[in-house]
Amino acid sequence: MRFLLLNHIQNANQSLRSNRLRSGLTTLGVTIGVASITTILALSAGASKVVGDQVDALGGNIAVIRPGATSPDPLSGLTQPNPHRDFAASTLTESDLALIGNIPHIEAVAPLMVLSGTVKADSVAPSETPIVATSPELELISNLKVQDGQFIDNTVNQDTTTIGAQLSIDIFGTDHSIGKTFTIRGKTFTVIGILKQTNNPINYNSIDFDTAAIVSLTSGKQLNQGLPQIQQINVRSDSVTNLNEAIINLNKTLIVAHHGEHDFTILTGNQISQPTSQLFYAIAGLTAAVAGISLLVGGIGIMNIMLVSVAERTREIGIRKALGATNADITIQFLIESLAIGLGGGITGYTVGYVVAFGISTFLTFDPVLNWEIVTVALTLSIVMGTVFGLYPAIRAARKDPIESLREYN
Amino acid sequence: MPNPELPPVIELHNLKKRFGIGDAEQFALDGIDLVIQKGEFIAIMGPSGCGKTTLLNIIGLLDCSTDGVYNLDGRAVETISPRRQARIRSQQIGFIFQSFNLISRLNIIENVALPLTYKGIGRTKRLNLASAMLRNFHLNEREYYMPYQLSGGQTQRVAIARALVNQPSIILADEPTGNLDSRSSHVIMEELSDLHKRGNTIIMVTHNPNLTTYASRVITMLDGRVDTDTHTPIEEPLLVAPKRPLGSVVPKAIKLKDHASRRKRKSKKSHRVHETSHK
Repeated sequence: MRFLLLNHIQNANQSLRSNRLRSGLTTLGVTIGVASITTILALSAGASKVVGDQVDALGGNIAVIRPGATSPDPLSGLTQPNPHRDFAASTLTESDLALIGNIPHIEAVAPLMVLSGTVKADSVAPSETPIVATSPELELISNLKVQDGQFIDNTVNQDTTTIGAQLSIDIFGTDHSIGKTFTIRGKTFTVIGILKQTNNPINYNSIDFDTAAIVSLTSGKQLNQGLPQIQQINVRSDSVTNLNEAIINLNKTLIVAHHGEHDFTILTGNQISQPTSQLFYAIAGLTAAVAGISLLVGGIGIMNIMLVSVAERTREIGIRKALGATNADITIQFLIESLAIGLGGGITGYTVGYVVAFGISTFLTFDPVLNWEIVTVALTLSIVMGTVFGLYPAIRAARKDPIESLREYN
Repeated sequence: MPNPELPPVIELHNLKKRFGIGDAEQFALDGIDLVIQKGEFIAIMGPSGCGKTTLLNIIGLLDCSTDGVYNLDGRAVETISPRRQARIRSQQIGFIFQSFNLISRLNIIENVALPLTYKGIGRTKRLNLASAMLRNFHLNEREYYMPYQLSGGQTQRVAIARALVNQPSIILADEPTGNLDSRSSHVIMEELSDLHKRGNTIIMVTHNPNLTTYASRVITMLDGRVDTDTHTPIEEPLLVAPKRPLGSVVPKAIKLKDHASRRKRKSKKSHRVHETSHK
């Protein structure tokens, strides 16, 4: 039996080699399908990893408080991907900030109030420029690096701002713009610091700090008709070991402050990056489903070529049966051929997919991820395709009548 | 060397094969009764469409009868599973076809080794056995030729080598010389005759009456029935295997070209009939 299987593999090899171009083109069909799926999965996993890595890099002693209770529906994170919830009044207030600051083991607290507005200076910045009203502690919690000047500070004038390097270039044409002014909603701000370029638009704050203007919370409130709209509070504990205790206290304090209403969510560790990851995986899943169509086309290609092969080799099937081949032998022989095409396409597709993903990633801010899950998906898909689409032609070949087959014109 | 004391290798009783239904119904075999002993060399003759090839296919387990009994080695064929029938084809029966039926994309040695594949023999051993068989037929220098690179006679010798590589006890030849010139036909018939002398049972379908001289028994078929059956056992006792190696008849046969020519002249008239029937 072992020899017979080996013989079938040798037969399949001979058969595929005798029609190199045809086998190659069919394999190409599978390669394209598997490559597109591999590319999509590798890039989406890379994007999700970026957020996770950032949280890890911060040392594991940060927590994020977001308004609104945690929904039991895991898909709510996808249907409402924007954590800021611009259009709803936030359940987090300024008094919460003060309370959180007094909780033991909490080292720093930074609210995030993201406003939309056009920044006007020498040239107009893109309208989606995020205006982040926060406290100076954000620099510490989110590990922001200042390239030039300083971060916003409680001791300096409240109408000052620290801006991202790209925003500085966009509105002033240079990244040395300290002392220059611009207006937001008619209010003038003086640039006192330029953030270091991070090329990191995907992060757990959902803010691209390269293009953001960071102002104090007071200024933010003034821009928002005196109302604070806190969309997130970043908290840092004094050590990783104390984070859990701090969170327990934080929970208790906030529930009391909110009159027993659990209208906030505290996220730690991987939970912080989860909504973003889920979103990326959902997008990847949908795109992969579209890419699956090309895989289906590749599979139909396998079936088509195998049917042609069966028709062409009808006489050979008759000869083999006359010489002692059973129906199972014929089925396995053709099945191995289709499996070889599928698997060949799968392996090539996986390799090509990663090459393409790395090529695309040169234009993106993250790298694709190499992991065993994607290998498994690619190989499983190719094996399943080879088997499913090769089964019918193989059975058809096995059912050929030997007499009729031997009469077939050679 | 048929031995009447042994049970017959092939027994057919009232064997029928019907094609078509209703008004189009036609019996290719219409009640064949035949007993074939081990070691017989049977030539089956008859006009086209009389059921010779159908009979050969049924005997070779490539086709099944509509009615009647076929016992192979004393066992009713209808009780044998298709898988077991394939194994019998692989181990017990060797086919020689008129159109050679070599697989065009395989070289000569791979073609000869093909039946061994289905016995589960490894590639190296398979090729060694095939090579040894080809050497017997003086084709060892052509092992890696492709089928289209050989002459008709050489191709048929390859087909015979393939039929014999599994050492089958029954050889079924369907007009083995039908596509060959008279000289090549003679060589092939000498080969078959040699195989017969070694104890193989040979059943050969032919249109050529000259070739019946090699057979120990000649059956003539007409309209799906056995018309005449000589049923004459061969005269010389051949219980001892010939000393010459298998396939050694080839050079001998080539030397006997003149003999063949004489035979050809004698049967000139018969040849004409044969050619006309081919046309």
